[in-house]
Amino acid sequence: MSFLAMAWRYLRFRWLVTLLTVVGIALGVALVCAVLALRHESERALSREAGLYDLVAGGKGSPLQLVLASVYHLDSPTGNLPYADYERLRRDRRVLWAAPIGLGDNYAGYRIVGTEAQFFDLSDRGGHPVFQFSRGRIFEDRFEVVLGSHVATATGLDIGESFFGTHGLVDVPGGEVHRDFPYKVSGVLAPTGTAQDRAIFGTLASVWEIHETEDRLHSAIRGTALLADQREREVTAILIRLKTPGLRLWMADEIRKRSDGIAAIPINEILRFQRGVIGPVQRALLAVAAAVIAVACLTVLTTLHQAAERRRRDIAILRSLGAARGEVAALLFTEGLLLTGAGIALGLLLGHGGLAIAAGAIRDATGLLIHPWRMPDTEAVALGTMALCGAAASLFPAISCYRRTPIDDLHLTD
Amino acid sequence: MIRLRDVSLRFGNADRASSVQFRLPDFEVAAGEAVALTGSSGCGKSTLLNLVAGLRRADEGEVSVAGIDLATLSPAQLDRHRGAHCGMVFQTFHLLAPFTAIENVAIGLRFGARKRAHSERASEALRRVGLGNRLRARSDQLSVGERQRVAIARAIAGDAPVLLADEPTGSLDPDTGREVFALLREVAAEDGRTLLMVTHDPALAAELPRHFDCAGLVRPTTVAPGKEAPTA
Repeated sequence: MSFLAMAWRYLRFRWLVTLLTVVGIALGVALVCAVLALRHESERALSREAGLYDLVAGGKGSPLQLVLASVYHLDSPTGNLPYADYERLRRDRRVLWAAPIGLGDNYAGYRIVGTEAQFFDLSDRGGHPVFQFSRGRIFEDRFEVVLGSHVATATGLDIGESFFGTHGLVDVPGGEVHRDFPYKVSGVLAPTGTAQDRAIFGTLASVWEIHETEDRLHSAIRGTALLADQREREVTAILIRLKTPGLRLWMADEIRKRSDGIAAIPINEILRFQRGVIGPVQRALLAVAAAVIAVACLTVLTTLHQAAERRRRDIAILRSLGAARGEVAALLFTEGLLLTGAGIALGLLLGHGGLAIAAGAIRDATGLLIHPWRMPDTEAVALGTMALCGAAASLFPAISCYRRTPIDDLHLTD
Repeated sequence: MIRLRDVSLRFGNADRASSVQFRLPDFEVAAGEAVALTGSSGCGKSTLLNLVAGLRRADEGEVSVAGIDLATLSPAQLDRHRGAHCGMVFQTFHLLAPFTAIENVAIGLRFGARKRAHSERASEALRRVGLGNRLRARSDQLSVGERQRVAIARAIAGDAPVLLADEPTGSLDPDTGREVFALLREVAAEDGRTLLMVTHDPALAAELPRHFDCAGLVRPTTVAPGKEAPTA
């Protein structure tokens, strides 16, 4: 019978203590795994998305708010810019790609983003197109729309079907439905793993038409006159890709000076957001996880110490059968390693399994596509550290067992 | 097979306020001989057995088993020597609770004889002591008599030339005790093993060809004030 088999039998013999110890370790490990994997995946997804754009121009306000509203469809927009600003930027020789977005309405909580056809020409830094159609085509008529992949799945809308937008960026009961302006689905995008999967893309012209009509109606009600051709067409934000990222600061400064708005660098804002807001929360969670693991390691130590004390007679018997001190110490150490190993394995499964279960909800809430089973380097380091802690905790009872002389313990009765 | 010459050993009492001295000028047991160690409680019977097993080391003198002076062996060598040369049977059986009868015997082989085919040898030893149908029973599923038979199987499975039995019938009823004693004698005689058996039962001791009275082997010694007696 091997050491491993003997150690396993002893652990199985006191199964309840074994189970509780393994679960204790597993909970700590699961927490660490989930936090580290979530941090890594969210950073990767957020940075990937933010990295698609060099600049976002919009009305005056918080740069982070501008980025969250324009890139991630999460916050309220900061304000508008004249459409002329977009046209000027599009013609700028330093700009590789630019697309306007106009916000104002939603359907079932999904934002209707007014834009222009070149929005779909965006490619990632490797030159691969970000948007691909799973079916249908780009909008051609003013009230045709393209659905993000998640919107199509969640709403059940498909090519040729129509719906009405509701005023505002969030779905609230009793919201003002634009029943005079039905949208018709012309295409559905393939999943991108970005927040764009949760958006509906229509023409900028449709956004203007709906809201100018609404404004005219409201003006008529108020008894004030409004002439459409007197209005200056506006956009909520302008997404910009430069020919080289090195121009970001220069261009941002120039936009601030030449327009009535601001320009934010998405990647900078997101990194600042991660470090300033998400970072402390993650650090607090990691501290809790470290405390859980420390307690779990102490549990391993206590469990093995108690096992060694209860098994003084058994250890003495093994010695009387010819087992060397090192062998009985190794047996106890093996038990500790098995406990730690089982705890880590179960914790990995719980942590990543939990993340896999939560991945759908995270994607629905934020649009972030996370890979729950991918293990970041930091997690491997953390697991290695935990394994070492478990081994160290197993060593103390093993050493104590090594030092015992069997003669007195042989007389302990059953 | 076993020789103790001018052996002395001092060890402390539980309260360490005093110590006792074990002295044995000369004791020899030939190969294949069966000897009963008798005497009152605390007279040194078990200490003699433990010295032969190498579970205690003598302070002075020579303890040789199978021609090897135990004082010359390192702790690890002593453990291996014990496993290879001494099969031990205890009053309270000392089976390992998580394991079955066959596993208890096989574990003895693993650490003792360190030979291959543990399971085959273990089941053979168990059949020999009449437990061929109880191989997979755990110790709590065995009667006390069966437990002691498992302990005997464990002691004989590895071909150890010396059997050391410390009151093997002490926890058994008279009939079962007699059966176990007969079994122990029988396997020792059949295999030509040396048997050293501690017993309080004069009737059993009388059945062995030789008995050694341990009375007077252990005497109290005084410890100088402020000094602590050494422990074993």
